[in-house]
Amino acid sequence: MRLIGVDVGGTFTDLVYTDTDEGRTVIHKTPTTTGDPSRGVIEGSLELCRRVGVDPASIDHLMHGTTIATNAVLEYDGSVTGMITTEGYRDVVHIGRHQRPQHYSIMQNIPWQDRPLVRRRHRKTVRERLIPPTGEVLIPLDEEGVRQAARELREAGVVAISICFLFSYLDPVHEDRAREIVLKEYPDCFVSTSSSLSPQFREFERFTTAAMNAFIGPKVRDYVGQLEGSMTASGIGSDLHVMGSNGGVATAAMVAEKPILTLLSGPAAGILGGYWSGELSGYRNLITFDVGGTSADIGLAVDGVFAEATARDTWIGGYPVLAPMMDIHTIGAGGGSIATVDAGGAFRVGPRSAGAQPGPAAYGHGGDKPTVTDAHVVLGRLDADNFLGGAMSLDGAAARRVIEGLAADLNLGVEETAAGVLTIINANMANAIRSRTVQKGHDPRDFALVAFGGAGPLHAADVADLLDIPTVLIPAYPGITSAVGLLTTDLKYDAIRTEFQVSGALDLTRLNTDFAAMEAQLSAQLAADKVDPAQVRFRRAGDLRYVGQGYELRVGFPESDLNQTAIAQVLADFAAAHEAEYGHAFPDSAVEIVNIRVTAIGSVPKIDPPTFGGGDSVEDATLRFGTTWFRTDGAVQAVDTPFLDRGRLPIDVLIQGPAVILQTDTTTVVPPDWHLRADAAGNLIITRGAPS
Amino acid sequence: MTTGTRTVDPVTISVIQGALENIAVEMGYRLMRMSYSSIIRESEDFGAGLVDAAGRGLAESAQSTPLQSGPIPGYIKGINRIMAARGEVVRPGDVIMHNDAYSGASHGPDVAFMVPVFHGERLIAWAGTTAHHLDIGSLTPGSCGIVDAMDAYAEGLQFKAIKVYEEGRRVPQVWQILRDNIRVSDLVVGDMEAQIAAARIGAKRFEELMARYGVETLEAACEGAMDHAERLMRNAIAKLPDGDYTATTYIDGFLDSPDPKKKALPLVVTLRVRGEEIEVDLTGTADQIDDAPINMPLVGTADIAIWLTIRSVLLDTAVHGHIPVNEGLTRPIKLTVPEGCLANPIFPAPTIARFCPGNQLADTVMKALAQAAPHNVSAGIGNLKVIAFSGLNAGQHWVHMEIFEGSYGGRPGMDGMDAVDTLYANTRNNPIEDIETHLPLRVSRYELREDVVGAGKWRGGLGSVREFEYLADGGASVEGEGHGFAPWGFDGGAEGKPAELRLVPPTGADPRELPSKVPHMRIKAGDIFRCVGPAGGGYGNPLERDPQAVLDDVLDGLISAETAKTAFGVVVSGDGTVDSAATDSLRAAT
Repeated sequence: MRLIGVDVGGTFTDLVYTDTDEGRTVIHKTPTTTGDPSRGVIEGSLELCRRVGVDPASIDHLMHGTTIATNAVLEYDGSVTGMITTEGYRDVVHIGRHQRPQHYSIMQNIPWQDRPLVRRRHRKTVRERLIPPTGEVLIPLDEEGVRQAARELREAGVVAISICFLFSYLDPVHEDRAREIVLKEYPDCFVSTSSSLSPQFREFERFTTAAMNAFIGPKVRDYVGQLEGSMTASGIGSDLHVMGSNGGVATAAMVAEKPILTLLSGPAAGILGGYWSGELSGYRNLITFDVGGTSADIGLAVDGVFAEATARDTWIGGYPVLAPMMDIHTIGAGGGSIATVDAGGAFRVGPRSAGAQPGPAAYGHGGDKPTVTDAHVVLGRLDADNFLGGAMSLDGAAARRVIEGLAADLNLGVEETAAGVLTIINANMANAIRSRTVQKGHDPRDFALVAFGGAGPLHAADVADLLDIPTVLIPAYPGITSAVGLLTTDLKYDAIRTEFQVSGALDLTRLNTDFAAMEAQLSAQLAADKVDPAQVRFRRAGDLRYVGQGYELRVGFPESDLNQTAIAQVLADFAAAHEAEYGHAFPDSAVEIVNIRVTAIGSVPKIDPPTFGGGDSVEDATLRFGTTWFRTDGAVQAVDTPFLDRGRLPIDVLIQGPAVILQTDTTTVVPPDWHLRADAAGNLIITRGAPS
Repeated sequence: MTTGTRTVDPVTISVIQGALENIAVEMGYRLMRMSYSSIIRESEDFGAGLVDAAGRGLAESAQSTPLQSGPIPGYIKGINRIMAARGEVVRPGDVIMHNDAYSGASHGPDVAFMVPVFHGERLIAWAGTTAHHLDIGSLTPGSCGIVDAMDAYAEGLQFKAIKVYEEGRRVPQVWQILRDNIRVSDLVVGDMEAQIAAARIGAKRFEELMARYGVETLEAACEGAMDHAERLMRNAIAKLPDGDYTATTYIDGFLDSPDPKKKALPLVVTLRVRGEEIEVDLTGTADQIDDAPINMPLVGTADIAIWLTIRSVLLDTAVHGHIPVNEGLTRPIKLTVPEGCLANPIFPAPTIARFCPGNQLADTVMKALAQAAPHNVSAGIGNLKVIAFSGLNAGQHWVHMEIFEGSYGGRPGMDGMDAVDTLYANTRNNPIEDIETHLPLRVSRYELREDVVGAGKWRGGLGSVREFEYLADGGASVEGEGHGFAPWGFDGGAEGKPAELRLVPPTGADPRELPSKVPHMRIKAGDIFRCVGPAGGGYGNPLERDPQAVLDDVLDGLISAETAKTAFGVVVSGDGTVDSAATDSLRAAT
């Protein structure tokens, strides 16, 4: 089986080719073609095929990570979108939860008011109303009203319509009928219903999700269509799969209908790639730590299970989105983060970033603000003449100049200032990791930190130190982890239903029927994707809370039908999860099953574990010795440090820090009180303390 | 920065500052997710923070509403004073409950649970949470709209620094009193347990931080962080022109009262800006009302309203980025509030319904500040309203409190925010789909209020219209403001429009106009509350508003073509475009 993974980032398009029969993997990087990213995907894939000497027609699957949907939201660059909603509720998406994003601000923007996904003139109301608890029809759908609205929206130049009715999660009958009418009236229109995207309660969030899907829909549909067309035209024989935010891939057809599923396409692939690397070395409790120029993405896997975001925590560009997503915590901390002394004299680093242009002063593109990268240069940790494998040289004098300016403002020494920049940014990163571990009942000491992205390996050991994480892993190709991750995934679709059932009065028959119906629906979807039914498995789960609470916790459900014993176990698991997450449980309180969920996983071929031969000796791998600065015993001190070539490190030989490991896509820092070894799975394993 | 002989470098201050904020956020996160009542977990009417032993605020959680986190330091100062007076000592393992509006509490329903942090024998800090509880044993169900409480005793239970855990042991008698005297006590006690769990986590994290850095370094870094915040505020004040700036607004009080002393009450704010400091003088503000609960505790409500506005204008997050919230921010601001006025009442004057008057005070501070910083303010802000819905279902009480939205005035370069919570309140509404699933209520409408606008070059934010229908017999009480007085216009902008409230019977005929405050009343199944939010004031001359922006509002159905003409001087043609020639001549003639 021949697979290609292509992850399109802001600057580079990363590609990985693997042949699962030969066990051969080749990586490739090409500049992103910003105007039309599909061009870079095609050209990069063809180049890669040429390099490995295979016929593009022989590629079986192409897995794609894309930011096309994300950028459409972040740049507010979508289609003219309309909405048809229940009469009396025209402004649900405008009023939102009536909360301001900032407490202490007069001049703030409110994204859903200042950048509406659907302008009010394009929000039409029709008479209809369902009521809880069963979705009983209180007011029948005014079909003529829907027809009229579709006509008016078409005339107004709307190209995508979202259909958003109250309580549609209980019964999609009105939304489905309205969709039929709209498509009859306006067949070319891109139509999204709120119940088909996320049949769960909370109308502002569900309506916004549907509106966003419509807003980005035509753009994503066109992109995917164009990419598939270009693949065919250029002789790439494979089908196309796109990475979803939930950590699985979806077919091109699915993504064209529900682009909302791909908002975290790239970062999700990064977590998968990081996890895959870590598991090769035997670690299944992993914190993934992906640091680039402007931000750090943090993910979590506990015993091989990825943390998922709860529906109330998923936001894109300031808008709430109800779509299954991996829990990816992003903070504004990266190599380009700017260090400043603020008006009150405090020392701050980030979240403002110098980005790629002008970038850090050391890049020599005119950057004149001190950044994290400049601090690394001053401390000797980045090799000015051999940055990114020599692809770029750094201006050490410029880096020193900007850090000196900062040092003067702070009245500190230059090296001490540079070390301070790193201390502060590392503390910010550690706080972010704490929010996903300690604060949710996970002890970081039980995890390894797998660091990637251009800057992750520079910070990993110091951040691990702050959290008492004993082990840091650096994958073989830290710069293309997302592309690798694309080749480690499965087809993955989610279904959800709101139940609002309370313990003590549970209707098990209804739960079992609903689970079965959801599995049937997902089976049909996977069958349409031509997945062998034998390769399909399901995972059941529920969102539970104590009656009266407003936040649910995800708890696994057994795969078979529920009986009293099984449900007792589910409730016990919920109590344990509550205790773990919040430090407290309420054993006497009734529990409400708010939603039930099914995830269907259709197996697809994956990248094989690589093996690495390594070099002969540490001496051979040593490129040179240089002065680097580390804080030891409270003082920032110069230390003579070996610079090692990653490709020539011997396997399973322990090397005491300090050391700096160079490779084309990143630089790894091993502090003095840590040691490392390269293992045969391709990871650098960095461990606290001296070798024992 | 030095404390005693200890010097702390700016790196450590920055790192510890971040760690303290992280702890406060964690406390807030846990409380919000564990709590039962929608007023806490959906409306987010709760607070979490860290305070030093002397009661100086160190950090607050980002999720909570400012009127909850802001007062936490005041609660501690009150607790310290009461315990000293009673000769009681705080010990490790204690948990202290407090809600005394005359000792730092914001008002009775906002009960705090405070957990002390010790280093050996020495008290170092407190981790605390506050939350608005559904019921606190007042004369009628719920804890808002108790507008007929005649003194502090009628408002419900008063907790003056009461230990609910003593050296780690639960004090069962206290908990029994709570269970016996509070309606919906399962929910309320559950929320209290959640508060304690969250506060304990905060204390634990603070201890871990102390272990990591050592108590001297930690305390010195806290001093450094407070000094830093103080410098930020001083620098910001220094940019204002020195001078005295006075503004007056009016609250409704009790518009249906025969007593003239209970309605149309002035709030008067004079800001004296001198160099890096501001004195805020409320002299001229109406006298307290001895027997009606719209008096504002000075510590816990009035002070928070004043600080909130000054901080939001001078150190606006959207302009200045993240600003650490600690005691330093308030040091350059001096409050002068005559004893016995609405904003500094004398015990036992009742205070339970002080929410909306306090927000009006915040707006009055902005009106005064507008003279000194006209480019950083909004025009007048529409005030809020809270309705407590309640009923009995098979002998069990149900209570639901919903906070309704106001709106902001126009801003330089931006229209006002539409239909949001305002100023020191930043809560959230409850999803319609949640309310109707769990309560005998139906939300029959939720939309913007059309064609009612504070005209301006930058128009005021629009109000909302929200309707609640009772599906079973029940009751309600209302506390709100802004029925009698429109939000002020600024710099040539027009006034906004007041709020309204109607009770509409099932027939739809003869709706009853209600004032902004209504004590508990019985409601019949089928009755509908029609709650109409205020429109914020306009900023700048409406005749200078971009005609395209006026047209957009017409096309969006927010204002009529007639309003475009009369209020903005813009003539919109039948084909949905601006008639430029007609507009020019109309504007020239106006």
